[in-house]
Amino acid sequence: MQYQFKWSVLWSGQSAGWLLQGLITTLELSALAWILAVCLGILAGALRTVTFAPLRAAAVFYVEFFRNVPLLVWMFFWYFGVPPLLPRVVQDWLFNHGAEFWAAVIALGVYTGARMSEVIRAGILSIPRTQFEASLAMGLTVGQAYRLIILPIALRLIVPPMTNESLNLLKNSSVALTISVAELTFQTRQVETYTAKAIEALTAGTLIYLVLCLGIATVMSRLERRFAIPGLIARVGAG
Amino acid sequence: MKRWVTMFLMLAVAAAVALPAAAQEGTLDKIKRTGVLTIGTRTGSPPFAYIDKSNNWVGFTIDLVEQLVKPAVEKEVGKAIKIEKKESTPPTRIPLLTSNAVDLIAGTMTDTPQRRESVDFSLTFFYTGAQFMVKKGSPIKSINDIGGKRVAAQQGSTNAKIIREKVPTAQLREFPDQPAAFQALVQGQVDAYTNDGIQLYGLKAKSPKPDDWDVVGDFYSEEPYGMAMRKGDAKFKAAVDAGLKNGFESGKYFDLYEKWFGAKGEVPYPMTPQVKAYLMKQIGK
Repeated sequence: MQYQFKWSVLWSGQSAGWLLQGLITTLELSALAWILAVCLGILAGALRTVTFAPLRAAAVFYVEFFRNVPLLVWMFFWYFGVPPLLPRVVQDWLFNHGAEFWAAVIALGVYTGARMSEVIRAGILSIPRTQFEASLAMGLTVGQAYRLIILPIALRLIVPPMTNESLNLLKNSSVALTISVAELTFQTRQVETYTAKAIEALTAGTLIYLVLCLGIATVMSRLERRFAIPGLIARVGAG
Repeated sequence: MKRWVTMFLMLAVAAAVALPAAAQEGTLDKIKRTGVLTIGTRTGSPPFAYIDKSNNWVGFTIDLVEQLVKPAVEKEVGKAIKIEKKESTPPTRIPLLTSNAVDLIAGTMTDTPQRRESVDFSLTFFYTGAQFMVKKGSPIKSINDIGGKRVAAQQGSTNAKIIREKVPTAQLREFPDQPAAFQALVQGQVDAYTNDGIQLYGLKAKSPKPDDWDVVGDFYSEEPYGMAMRKGDAKFKAAVDAGLKNGFESGKYFDLYEKWFGAKGEVPYPMTPQVKAYLMKQIGK
């Protein structure tokens, strides 16, 4: 009746190798998706604050369309929905060269980008408009004002919520197993399949995610302190 | 930071130690107390367990539980019981069982030596083997043809494991459920989909255009299906086995087989004499 624990299944046989492979895939997937998400997030976040209405509308459309549909659906969309639109030869090439991985990167990046753009927009809106007017008065163009003044300030203000989104991205990467990407959760299940030791395998997966997330949170909190703008926030370094 | 890590580790260990403590009560006692036998089964594995056109959760395995196992368990606990069904997939079924969320896995689970270390199996109630489903006219005819090809399998199934060992050059794509794997085959993400032969026949029969698909290859594995229970609960296992044994002896099992797999059944799949002999041998006949 009692469940018999056998923790050695985690390092005996192929388990350790699989978990390591899964960890690497999770990191690759998350890193690429994060870069995509940050680029899209900054772009869409900035565009939502410009005066030219069509650009604003395009950014609103992107954000509302992509953040309001479940990530799982986006995984299926990019893996099952998009390839049939391409020529057969291209499809075959893609399917032989890790289409599922790239579909997952795009799905995760585009989805998280929509969420990040709201964070970035909030950062930009928290800067007094006089900063922007002062930049223009100094002779900067609108583009230069964003690039040199507004965004550098905004990005420093939003480190805490960006940490949140980054952690979510890392954890959401596990959804990629539905389109057969062999990431960490997938490999955890693989260990379970081979050894039939579910609790051990799940515990290993849990601990690896936990350590990864704690690592990211630590790095981000260092960044936050390192790049805080002295005098801008009342209690710098209080976190 | 270090202190936090230590604390989390301690919490994880505490949770792991606390879990099995809940499993002390015998399954029959639990059923007697609650009046409910909870089974973990499938929603998309015709004809074993699936949601039919009129939205009922039906199938061969579900019939076995309701008509053979249920009366045997009722006899043991001395009162009428209800069957409650929950969805269980290959990756979730053993955890569902060990966490007490379900009492019996009655789906399409293969009885393997590794799994026997974690759960107990009932008598075998179905016998099949792994094959491949391909588009009609595909060059793939058996396991010998899949080197370098993209092959879909179900996550957590025995098939994927065997392919990985026997044909390491095949590009395996593992999906959590049958519909996703079949979708990948339809769209050409994969060249073949491997699963237990009977499930492929079931899928083919239920697909919009059954004639577009072929099930090919000899059985490259043996897949005896059993119902899984928490390990070491001898009384409950005896009740479940008694129900199945009674079905084999009275012929009721074969009536149900005929209903689902006979010429007029959902998926015609005549029982070979070898399989019948295998099933009867279990009860010493």
